[in-house]
Amino acid sequence: MRMTSFGDFLAFSMLATSLAFSAYSAWWIGQPTVAALALLAGAILLIWRFNPLGNSVGDLPRWRRRPRRQSSLSKPACSRASRPSNERDSGSPASDEQPAAGSPSDRLVAEMIRNGREVLLLRPQIAANLDPRQLERAQARLDEVMAIVPQGPVLLQPWDLDREAGEAPSDEVIEVEGYYLDRFPVTNGQFKAFVDADGYEQMSFWDEEIWPAVLEFVDQTGHPGPRFWRDGSYASGTADHPVVGVSWYEASAYARWVGKRLPTDPEWVKAGAWPVSRDGASPVQRRFPWGDSMDRSKAHLWAPDVAGTVPVDATPGGQSVGGIHQLIGNVWEWTASPFAAWDHEARFLHEKPLKSVRGGAFDTYFDCQASCQFQSGEDPLARKHNIGFRCAVGVCDVEPVGWDRPEETDASHTDSPRTNPASESALS
Amino acid sequence: MSKVTLALDSYQLAQYAVQVPCYICEGGNNHDAELCRYCQAPMALAHQARAQKVLPQMIATIGTADAGKTVYLGMLTDMLSRQAKNLHLTARGAFSVSLQQHTIASLSRCRFPSKTPNEPDRWNWVHCQVRMDGRRQPVELIMPDLAGEAILEEIDHPGTYPVIKAFLNRCVGLMLLVDTARLEEGEDDQDFFTMKIVTYLTELHRQQAAPKKGKKNPLPAVSIVFTKADHCDESFDDPAAYARRRTPGLFQLCKEQLPRHEFFAACVVGTYTYCWELETKVQVPLRIEPRGIIPPFAWLMKQLPRSS
Repeated sequence: MRMTSFGDFLAFSMLATSLAFSAYSAWWIGQPTVAALALLAGAILLIWRFNPLGNSVGDLPRWRRRPRRQSSLSKPACSRASRPSNERDSGSPASDEQPAAGSPSDRLVAEMIRNGREVLLLRPQIAANLDPRQLERAQARLDEVMAIVPQGPVLLQPWDLDREAGEAPSDEVIEVEGYYLDRFPVTNGQFKAFVDADGYEQMSFWDEEIWPAVLEFVDQTGHPGPRFWRDGSYASGTADHPVVGVSWYEASAYARWVGKRLPTDPEWVKAGAWPVSRDGASPVQRRFPWGDSMDRSKAHLWAPDVAGTVPVDATPGGQSVGGIHQLIGNVWEWTASPFAAWDHEARFLHEKPLKSVRGGAFDTYFDCQASCQFQSGEDPLARKHNIGFRCAVGVCDVEPVGWDRPEETDASHTDSPRTNPASESALS
Repeated sequence: MSKVTLALDSYQLAQYAVQVPCYICEGGNNHDAELCRYCQAPMALAHQARAQKVLPQMIATIGTADAGKTVYLGMLTDMLSRQAKNLHLTARGAFSVSLQQHTIASLSRCRFPSKTPNEPDRWNWVHCQVRMDGRRQPVELIMPDLAGEAILEEIDHPGTYPVIKAFLNRCVGLMLLVDTARLEEGEDDQDFFTMKIVTYLTELHRQQAAPKKGKKNPLPAVSIVFTKADHCDESFDDPAAYARRRTPGLFQLCKEQLPRHEFFAACVVGTYTYCWELETKVQVPLRIEPRGIIPPFAWLMKQLPRSS
């Protein structure tokens, strides 16, 4: 039961008072029916306005009514791979953020791209209704903010509590389909677009099992949003920091809103370890995205004077072969998989089911716990100060633009590397 | 008939005639004794103090069993030894590195270090030198890893562990650890145990003679640390408010009895789970991310007298 503004409150109060006064007057002059009707009208007005019955009155798909803040669409704070952080903070328009002239669909496309929802435009169902120019724009944006991780096998190291130091792990080989992964973790600025678009109130973005808990996903001041925000917004100067204080469910809801999903464990490891397959042998993969030895200048990990997160582009040189940044350090990242899902001999006794987090954070103390293979777990409802996320989408889930579709090419080109951008040979 | 010559080694007896006082309880020991015959403290502390011509001060880390004393101390020493600015710790003597080594080796493999045994001769006595900004001279410290069960045993039955009484008598500062995990489970025992410890300390102090006639013997500074605070993130925001709410007895007692005390929250583990091991349920830390470890110690260091 919230008022949108004081003026709103005053207007409705006056209306209700005048109705009450009319009822009283009608009763006084001997017209009880008119008095009853006036009272009924007043009651209906109050119920409709203040919505004490929650979802049963008003628009059904929303959980709560709250003041609509000014949308961030006019001032996007999304991380831009190719822009320096100072430019991002100032909110200066990038080439794709200029006011879209032309048709309403052009404006819609521009708005979707500004909100980081370009993947939705490339879904086959929607792509069919867009013109090639709009599609190319969306594809260009996708290539800018996401990197392709090629299909192929990846070694996944299970938790082995009995393994001695130096002993070779019993890895498991998992086959991964080609997919796109965000080049950077999701930032506060990007997440704010979701909050401002009433993402916390749209039931369709949330797992049904979590509906009762969504009302508890509020910030320090009781507004829907990440735990450490205030008044529905992040602290000033942290627009390009990774969003933290979000549960696994909030991360999943955001991913759905932008038309993506969380990466699975094998997908995440593949993006960082970048396995190279050889005939008949296990894939060779890296311990860290940049190589096999730890280099703390390439990852934001524990240090005596480190106190929190840094901008998502603050660790140059730490990117993976595929150009994915900050997989290691700054914040742990939620994945879609349960913790120890590939550990067939696990003897864990979880008090509650845990979701897998990977990559280490600004307060990760040991190098060995900030490697591509290291897996930790967390309660999916936890909203920790050092856990963020990034999103993924399968190559098969987006309409290919700018390369020939297999069905449109002749037989000799069907197997050509150019036909599938996710194949390793295409990338090489 | 062959003649046997025996060396006259009575000069060795002279060494036994001179007693070496234990650094903790000041009881006389033979020069080659490894442990004090009265309190079981390592005599290496006394030999080191004599050789280096400095008298180390003592800081106690106490709390109930499983409050996290070993993990806290091991982590603290490791973090301070990596840190170059503000506060830096250097171990004195190889035996002082053992606690750090043991704790860090376990935690990096996602294991908790094994439980500290109750026998004083198996405790880790950390002797270290701490350099601080604003102090020209480094501070020599002795910080043992005491067993929680032994502490409570000594408090309930004085004289069971004379080393604990002797050590606490000489402490200039204390870090009193309170297990937040158990508090959050609704157990009141942490409140009572820690109240017992504070009462024991104040009683011990009253029995002690004042250093100068007419002057009061100052009570040691006490930092009260809510360990495993990851179980309740709010404890980080305002540890004193948390203490008032969750350990009201301890909060009031500290207010009345301890003129110099401060509340802190700390944790070492990000999250944990359990596993079966030899048919026992064992806690497994899933990642190590220390938080709030240094502030309680840094505050205590500021409270230490400058002259010593």
